[in-house]
Amino acid sequence: MLLEMKGASVNYGKVSAVRDISISVPEGGIVTIIGGNGAGKTTTLRAMSGMVPLAGGEIHFNGARVDGLSSDKVVAKGIAHVPEGRRIFPDMTVEENLRTGAFLRRDKPAVENDLEGVFTRFPRLKERRRQMAKTMSGGEQQMLAIGRALMSAPKLLLMDEPSMGLAPVIVEEIAVIIEEINAQGLSVVLVEQNAELALELADHAYVLETGNMALEGPANELHDNDHVRAAYLGV
Amino acid sequence: MLDLLAQTGLNAVYAASYISLIAVGLVLIFGVMGVVNFAHGELYMAGAYAVVLLYTDFQMPFFLAIAVGMIFVGCLGLAMERALFRPLRDNPLGGLVASIGFLMILQSLAVMGFGVRMEHIPPVTQHVIEFSDRVRLPLARLFVIIAAVVLLSALWIFLKKTRFGWALRAAAQDPEAAALQGISINQTARIAMFIGAGLAGIAGALTAPLVSVNPHMGHSVIVTAFIVIIVGGVGSLEGAIVASVAYAFVHTFVTTFWDGVIADIVGLSLMLLVLIVKPTGLFGSADRA
Repeated sequence: MLLEMKGASVNYGKVSAVRDISISVPEGGIVTIIGGNGAGKTTTLRAMSGMVPLAGGEIHFNGARVDGLSSDKVVAKGIAHVPEGRRIFPDMTVEENLRTGAFLRRDKPAVENDLEGVFTRFPRLKERRRQMAKTMSGGEQQMLAIGRALMSAPKLLLMDEPSMGLAPVIVEEIAVIIEEINAQGLSVVLVEQNAELALELADHAYVLETGNMALEGPANELHDNDHVRAAYLGV
Repeated sequence: MLDLLAQTGLNAVYAASYISLIAVGLVLIFGVMGVVNFAHGELYMAGAYAVVLLYTDFQMPFFLAIAVGMIFVGCLGLAMERALFRPLRDNPLGGLVASIGFLMILQSLAVMGFGVRMEHIPPVTQHVIEFSDRVRLPLARLFVIIAAVVLLSALWIFLKKTRFGWALRAAAQDPEAAALQGISINQTARIAMFIGAGLAGIAGALTAPLVSVNPHMGHSVIVTAFIVIIVGGVGSLEGAIVASVAYAFVHTFVTTFWDGVIADIVGLSLMLLVLIVKPTGLFGSADRA
């Protein structure tokens, strides 16, 4: 397993956000976490990248324990996080945003190479490389956020609601991109409210309900599960 | 008349230089750390006293005294970051309150160490550049202008062209997202605090022979600096520089042609006017205010 979260719990003050969550991400896989509003999906993802501390449990990544590390240290281990709401740097140019993603890397030629790679994958970003990031559309900003995460040359990509607020045709574009980067060997954890999309992309799925793990299984099996169909797929 | 205008213009450029050194540091610290550093005027005062001690008392060469003073005040900034601002990072008003306390400590230390009297610093140079009979620029003032231009340009290049400069800007715009790129928030805070405090320190050190050095000298500059950063747009370095120049010109000209009290009133009215017309300041953006 590339990433293994075992019995993880997170509290916000006295309030328990998620309890006893275990998630395994195999090398090269796409794992999704679905669930309703406030189910704890984002909290789980934030725990993986060190943005919130664990109240209990452990996280192992690539053979080493990563829980307890601050998020700037977790990136160095090879986990990149595309946060909810994209969180690009508004007053920096597109290119500066991308290069900031490579902040920890000292291998200059490889960084230049990866920058070209991102520009090839997202030609719109290349056209707008000198433009301030805040002037771009929602879909372009999402692509910038993904590109920025790729610039750290991660082994695992955590994505929080990449489809949020985007037009269906852009969502489709993002889905293709996730499949492409996964096909090139990058493992992905995808948090989505759009369960249809998530179950279509993922190999394995976890269902969170009010901070507890309700269900897990292969994505195609969960797609046919009666409870999942009624609660999350609206059929 | 033309001579008087030219002379007043030169005075304004000098005033703009040291105000912008102080205001830019204050903006940098606020931008990167989210802390309103009320002790910033006392860092300026500490820079001036470094010159009193090193240059007047220990007879160190003036420029060496300034360099040592700047590094000393920068280190004072590092100590503030570690001891006050970092432990209080999650408390929105904590840093502000702690900085007010630290301001009083620094003032008291200055009183204990040097007394409340005004320090007399022997002039560094008596040389005056004479453009004409009535348009003159003392060399000591030119040093301040040169230092401001050189240091602020260097800061600009640092922020726009270097890896750590980008890290500082990223941390100022979104600290959490910056941390996700591998940027250490403790490190960006240290850099911002060292630069911001160091700029206040060198402003104090360079102007020490030109102003009255006393333990309470930080008070008037911090008020001016706050006016300037509100006019410029809180969080905007460009805004701080532009507003420093604008404020210095207005204040100096009004002082020369009317008097200093009216100049203060005009300065504050200008700030109110900017707040009414553009509440985020000249260069501020709404999402960061």
